[in-house]
Amino acid sequence: MKIDTMFRHAREAFKSLKRNTWMTFAAVSAVAVTLLIFGFFLVFAFNINYLSKELDQQVAIRASIVPGASADDIEQLQKQIEQNPEVKSVTFIPKAQGLQQLKAQLGEDSKILEGLEGEENPLPDTLVIVPQNPQRIEELANKVKAHNLIEQEDHGDGVTDKLLDFSSLVRNVVLVFGLGLAVLAAFLISNTIKLTIFARRREIEIMRLVGASNWFIRWPFFIEGAFIGMLGAVFPVIIVLAFYKAALNVLTDGSQYSFIKMLPMMPLSLYVAALTTFLGVLIGIWGSVISIRRFLRV
Amino acid sequence: MIEMHDVWKVYPNGVEALRGIDVRIDQGEFCYVVGPSGAGKSTFIKLMYREEKPSSGVILINGVNVKRVRDWKIPYLRRKIGVVFQDYKLLPHLTAYENVAFAMEAIEAPRRKIRSRVQEVLELVGLADRMNALPSQLSGGEQQRVSIARAIVNNPGFLIADEPTGNLDPENSWDIMYLLEEINARGTTVVMATHNKEIVNTMRKRVIAIENGVIVRDEDQGEYGYED
Repeated sequence: MKIDTMFRHAREAFKSLKRNTWMTFAAVSAVAVTLLIFGFFLVFAFNINYLSKELDQQVAIRASIVPGASADDIEQLQKQIEQNPEVKSVTFIPKAQGLQQLKAQLGEDSKILEGLEGEENPLPDTLVIVPQNPQRIEELANKVKAHNLIEQEDHGDGVTDKLLDFSSLVRNVVLVFGLGLAVLAAFLISNTIKLTIFARRREIEIMRLVGASNWFIRWPFFIEGAFIGMLGAVFPVIIVLAFYKAALNVLTDGSQYSFIKMLPMMPLSLYVAALTTFLGVLIGIWGSVISIRRFLRV
Repeated sequence: MIEMHDVWKVYPNGVEALRGIDVRIDQGEFCYVVGPSGAGKSTFIKLMYREEKPSSGVILINGVNVKRVRDWKIPYLRRKIGVVFQDYKLLPHLTAYENVAFAMEAIEAPRRKIRSRVQEVLELVGLADRMNALPSQLSGGEQQRVSIARAIVNNPGFLIADEPTGNLDPENSWDIMYLLEEINARGTTVVMATHNKEIVNTMRKRVIAIENGVIVRDEDQGEYGYED
């Protein structure tokens, strides 16, 4: 298509947006509300995803070794476990080190552990086994337990499973809810476009008479719809990101090492802005397609 | 050249608007289509620019079977045919110049070509000095001349006019007729449906008379033949 023609189509689209100010406003608002909700869900979903990945990295089997096992035996056991393809890494933590870690975790309350160093240390030597696939931890744990040098094991009792279930549930709810809202917004846009078509029906009739191609007639409406969608994406992106920034400050004190893990602002803002705008444009074009198909015999 | 072979048009409500039309209009001809109201004139005209499809029979425009043309190709067929209506169908918010240019923009003609060609056509219809006027500032006759300029601006081989003088007084009607004759003299085929007895009987051309969906008369230098 010629550049001239493209400019003409854009001009036509903007003219009719201006002509139907209120309808444009309504359609943009509808898209904005849809995208606002979508934006919040998006942020939520990204963070759940991030969190579950973080947790996956912390998922591990802690296997305690029977007391009195020799250093050679332990080394051999560690190598044997490492050979299993399901295993990502195995770390040996001698009981002295385990006690140090426990003390660090307890902080000020670590006084209660005083006097338990050396021979009195009640903790077992442990192997920390990180699985390749956190979903199959149960299976691996059973295999590890079968070893006669292993006294007992602990793998967190499916906390991760529950989190993964929850996040996939959230994802499905978002999908259904978002789809419903998108349909609503598309219909509002199609109504706006319908007004344009009505206002321009004489022009369209004449275009058809003088032999304008179908695409020539359709283009301005596509641009109009896409623009409504894009306009509708601006405010939700700003609002969602502002809220997220605030939440980030309050919940994590702006520190990356806080207890609550959240995605940092920078890559997230780009994803949210891009995805929201893309969805807005998609809804806009969809809305135009609905009205064009119904009201133009082109 | 327009050819129709045994063309029938039956509307969904059962009305038989045309019943077996056979006609051939050669390149460069000028012909009137006459007949009482509701005889099928409008349907006959609409079939020519593919606003209606025939129910059966064959319509050839320059040898192309109109019925077989795919929907998306119809615009390209239309570019070979200019159409003029009784009510002008001008866009009220565009000037005379813009109304004519619109027809060229719609088929994506280059801008430089648009300017010179629109100028040329407006001169041909005698409105070069009125080209910046809106339709509301023009008389009926002037508006019809703008609509004729628009119809011929893309150099169609055919000009189809549906009662072009229907809304005009005799003086303006004659202006339009001289203009159509001039356009015809330059090689464009003109087909014109009309109720104007005086014009048909004075400016003698081929006359095709349709009654009850059938061609009842087809004669060169014919007469109007009705008393309305």
